[in-house]
Amino acid sequence: MTKWIWLLVLLVVPAFAVASGGSRVIEGMPADLIEGQRIYEQYCAACHGLQGEGAANWQKPDEKGEMPAPPHDESGHTWRHSDAMLFRMIAEGWRHPFNKSDRLTMPAFRDILTDEEIRAVIDYLRTFWTGEQRLYQQTESQDMPSN
Amino acid sequence: MKSMIHTLNTKVWPLCLLMLAAFLPALAQAQPLDDNQPVTAVTTDASGTILVLRGGSLVAIEDGTAAVIPLPASDGQPTSLARGADGDVYLGGPGMGVWRYDNASGDWQSLNESLPDLSVNAIAAHANQPGTLYAYSEQNGMFRSRDRGTEWARVDGGPREPVQTFLHSDMPGSMESGWLFAGTTRGVARSMDCFCFWGDAGELRGTVSAISYDPAAPENVYAVIEGVLHHSADGGEAWEALDVPQPVTALAFSPEKGLVAGTVDGDLLARGSAGEWTPVHD
Repeated sequence: MTKWIWLLVLLVVPAFAVASGGSRVIEGMPADLIEGQRIYEQYCAACHGLQGEGAANWQKPDEKGEMPAPPHDESGHTWRHSDAMLFRMIAEGWRHPFNKSDRLTMPAFRDILTDEEIRAVIDYLRTFWTGEQRLYQQTESQDMPSN
Repeated sequence: MKSMIHTLNTKVWPLCLLMLAAFLPALAQAQPLDDNQPVTAVTTDASGTILVLRGGSLVAIEDGTAAVIPLPASDGQPTSLARGADGDVYLGGPGMGVWRYDNASGDWQSLNESLPDLSVNAIAAHANQPGTLYAYSEQNGMFRSRDRGTEWARVDGGPREPVQTFLHSDMPGSMESGWLFAGTTRGVARSMDCFCFWGDAGELRGTVSAISYDPAAPENVYAVIEGVLHHSADGGEAWEALDVPQPVTALAFSPEKGLVAGTVDGDLLARGSAGEWTPVHD
């Protein structure tokens, strides 16, 4: 069943990608970041946006009582989390505790992505942030070392 | 006659001065408390002693007796008390920044070296990380220290409306290590302690003057608006008003007495398991 859901995601994501303005082009991006971008656009962009812009009205629960996917760009709060916490959220998924449903609104990717692929995505997320935010996140990661 | 007076001057005065020096501290301790002033803030220390900020004085209440704790030398106004996870007591307020009390020596240590200024409106301590403290300044936002106040770093602007009082809670469900509940001029704002996003905690509206939670059952949060105590049993989603004999001005959770409310008349009341209020005698 899960396999069929992911097949559907793989088919639908490119359509969303085109609809929301296409892939980001970053001049001179290193190969590992290009890989991170590829994984991000394949698995994350459908909910968090190709430009990391997140869902509309992400700060309020939607009609199902669930918090929508937040942005990963500088307007969001991803940069406030340590690498260890980001890794955990991608691997294990996440449900906001005040959601009205019990499901993981952020799916768990531990059976889909390797540890290396998850780290590549986190590296790519950093490209969405300001220099000040990257510095803050680096300090958070030092205080809470990565897996 | 002159020699008698001279003898008196040389022998009695030093004795008088010696006696004065010996008894002054005791006189200071025994100064009458203005018990009728509204309670500004309440907390407990490591031994469970209740500390009350009332009428510009800090009083320790233990076993039915009250002792004045001299406040640090500062031109500021003490308004906020917090108990660290290790039981250390912190004091803060506009114009005075943040101070830690050394229970053994009775001294206050200033923690203001790396704060941009002393305009601290409210302070809070992490529920279970002894070195982690928070200070809010309306001018500069939220600051966090992870080393007991030696180094402060600005972490966030805080909620949209000014914070009057706030706390850290170890309620489960956070992405990091807990939650911050802030009483603002709009109601209660809530954020995970990653400062990810400040949102409304339910629809309680008004200026929150005091806030507390039950460490043994962290979903239970208490907030005071215009003297009325409100309780949420679900982490701040739904609120209901509780009856208290007097308007409430301060709140704390005592390990021994449970929820303690300081009142507008200067009293301390403890809430029993059946919801009844009994005086905490001082």
